[in-house]
Amino acid sequence: MIEIKDLHKSYKMGSNSLHVLKGINFSAEEGELVAIMGSSGSGKSTLLNILGMLDGADSGEYNLDNVPIRDLNETKAAQYRNKFLGFIFQSFNLINYKSALENVALPLYYQKVNRKVRQEKALKYLEQVGLKDWATHLPSELSGGQKQRVAIARAMAAEPKVLLADEPTGALDSTTSYEVMDLIQKINDAGNTILVVTHEEDIAHMCKRIVHLKDGVIVEDKKIEQVRAAQYV
Amino acid sequence: MFDRDIWQEIFNTIKKNKLRTFLTGFSVGWAIFILVMLLASVNGMENGFVGQFNDDATNTIFIRPGVTSKAYAGFEAGRRIQLENDDLEYIRQSFPDDIEYISGRYFTNTTARYKSETGAYPVQGVHPEFQIIEKTIVISGRYFNETDFTNKAKVAVIGKKVAEDLFDKEDPIGQFAELNGLPFRVIGVFTDEGDDNAERRIYAPLSTYQRIYGNTNNINQIALTYNPNYDLTKALDFSQRLEILMKRRQKVDPEDQSGINVWNYAEAFDNISSFTTVLKAIGIVVAFLILIAGIVGIGNIMVFTIKERTKEFGVRKALGARPKQIVNLVLLESTFITTLSGFVGLLFAWVILALVGPTIETPAFSNPSVRSSTVITATIILIIAGVLAGLLPAIKAANVKPIVALSDK
Repeated sequence: MIEIKDLHKSYKMGSNSLHVLKGINFSAEEGELVAIMGSSGSGKSTLLNILGMLDGADSGEYNLDNVPIRDLNETKAAQYRNKFLGFIFQSFNLINYKSALENVALPLYYQKVNRKVRQEKALKYLEQVGLKDWATHLPSELSGGQKQRVAIARAMAAEPKVLLADEPTGALDSTTSYEVMDLIQKINDAGNTILVVTHEEDIAHMCKRIVHLKDGVIVEDKKIEQVRAAQYV
Repeated sequence: MFDRDIWQEIFNTIKKNKLRTFLTGFSVGWAIFILVMLLASVNGMENGFVGQFNDDATNTIFIRPGVTSKAYAGFEAGRRIQLENDDLEYIRQSFPDDIEYISGRYFTNTTARYKSETGAYPVQGVHPEFQIIEKTIVISGRYFNETDFTNKAKVAVIGKKVAEDLFDKEDPIGQFAELNGLPFRVIGVFTDEGDDNAERRIYAPLSTYQRIYGNTNNINQIALTYNPNYDLTKALDFSQRLEILMKRRQKVDPEDQSGINVWNYAEAFDNISSFTTVLKAIGIVVAFLILIAGIVGIGNIMVFTIKERTKEFGVRKALGARPKQIVNLVLLESTFITTLSGFVGLLFAWVILALVGPTIETPAFSNPSVRSSTVITATIILIIAGVLAGLLPAIKAANVKPIVALSDK
C-alpha cells in the first residue's frame, strides 16, 4: 500500500540547513495498523506530512497504492489527498460552524458527491462511530472524545486507502483515548490501513507494528502483539 | 455558484461578524451613494442649462451691432454701427442655402393701456418668421403674418402675463389696446418657457414700428436660424462666413469684436456640453476614488477574516479542497457583501432622487436623476469591485499550506 525508498527532507533555517529525514525506507501492507513513534524532533511529524502530501520530499520515492507521488501541484495534491487519504488530527480540526453531519460530509463535497447522497453517507459513518443522534450538533456541543469520533467519521467518509492519525489521543484523557483507539482498531479490523503517530507507549502497543524514529532515521521496526483497547473501555 | 453549502458558509461568516460586515458594506454603499448622487447632480445641472436654452431654437444666430473699438478703412474707432432693412435682405440673398428663417428685431418700450388698466412692457418689432426662431407658442388667436407685415398693420401678439395684467378675465383677442396712445388690435396671446419676463412682452410687426418711429429702416438686431441639418462644424463655419461678410459690409475691422457681434447658439451649446462633460468626468473620478477606498476597506477586512480562518482553510485543503475552490469561496463572499451593500446605497440614492428630484426646479439645476444605464453601470462596477476586493485575500487564502493546520497543536 505504502512504499517509501530513501526519503530525504531538510528545512532551511536561515543560512543553516536542518536535515530532518535522513533516508527513510518504509513500507506498509494493506490492512496494517502502524504506530510511528519517536521523541519530538525525531522527524515523525515530517514523515507524516510527506505521507499526507502536505509537504514534499527533497529526494526519494513514494508510492501510494502503486501510484508514484511526486511533482505534485496544489490541485493534484488536493485530489490525491481527497481520494487516497483520511486525516485525523490531535486537535480534531472540525469546522466549528458546521454540524457534525456537515463536517463528516465535507470530504464528500470535495468529491462532488451530490447533497443527498452526501448526507446519507455521512449519517452512515456517524452511526458507525456511535454518534448518529448527535448529527445536528455543532462541535462546541460535543465532548473531546465525541469530537475525535466525528473527525474519524469524517476521515472515513471519503473511503480513503490510508488513514493518517497525528497524535489522535493527544488531547484526550486516557479513558477517552482508549475509546478512540478501540474505534481505530475496529476500523482496522474491517481492513483499513492506518498509520498512527504517537509518543505514548500504551497507544503504540494497541497497534500491530511499531516503527521508531530517531534523528531522522528508523532505528527500530517490529511487529507486536496487539493490545485490544476494548478491555479498558 | 448556486451551491447551498457555499451560501451557507457565507451567511454564517456574515452572521458571526455583523458589525464588521456592516462597516465594510457601509463604505461601499456610501461610495455608490455618492457616485449616483454626483452623477445625478451633474445631470441636474445639464437639465437646468438645456432647459434655459430650449426656450429658443438651438440653431439660432444673432447679429448684434455695437460700437467699433478699432479704427478701420478710414473710420475712427467709436463709430456706432446701425443695421438696416437692406442688411437683412443682403444676408438673406447671400446665404440662400444656409438660412432657414431670418428676422429683424426692433426693441422699444411702451406703455400699454386697456380700459383702466395700464402697464409698461418691452415691445419687439419683428418679422413673422421670428415666431419660429424664438419658439413662441401662441395659446390663443394667431401670430401676425406676411400680409400684416406688408400692410404695416397695427396688430400685437401679447404675452400671457400681459393679457392677465391688462385684460384680467376678459378675452383679449380682437380687443384694441393702446400702445403709447396708438390703438393696436390684439390678435394673439403667447406663452414662453423662459422666465416670467418672457411672457411680459409684446410682439408687433417690425414694419409697423419702423413706420411709427419716423419711417426709419433701422433694425436693432438680426436673428436667424440656419439649416437644421448642419452639424457643429458647419454651423460654426457658417457663422464665421456671416461675420466676415457683415464686417466687410459695415467696414468693421475683422478683429473688432465689439463693432459687430455674431453670436451662435451652437457655440454656447458646445461650451455647455463640454462643461457638463467635464463635470461628469470629475464626478465619476471622485466617486471612483471613494469607491476605491471602499474596496480597500473590504479587502482589508477580508485579509483579516482569512487570517482568522487560516486553520479552517488548512483543514479544507487536507480534506481535498482545491485552491480554486477556496478562491471561489472567498471571492463569492466579498462579491456578495459589496454587491448587496452597493445595492442598498444605490437604492437609497434612487429613493432620495425620486422623492426630491422632481421638486427641484431652478434655472441652473432641475430634476436631478439617473438614467437606468448609469444604474446598470454602477451595478457592474460593484460586482467588479467585489471581485477586486476579494481577489488578493482569496489568493492568499488559497496559498495557505495545509501543514499549518496540522502543525498547529
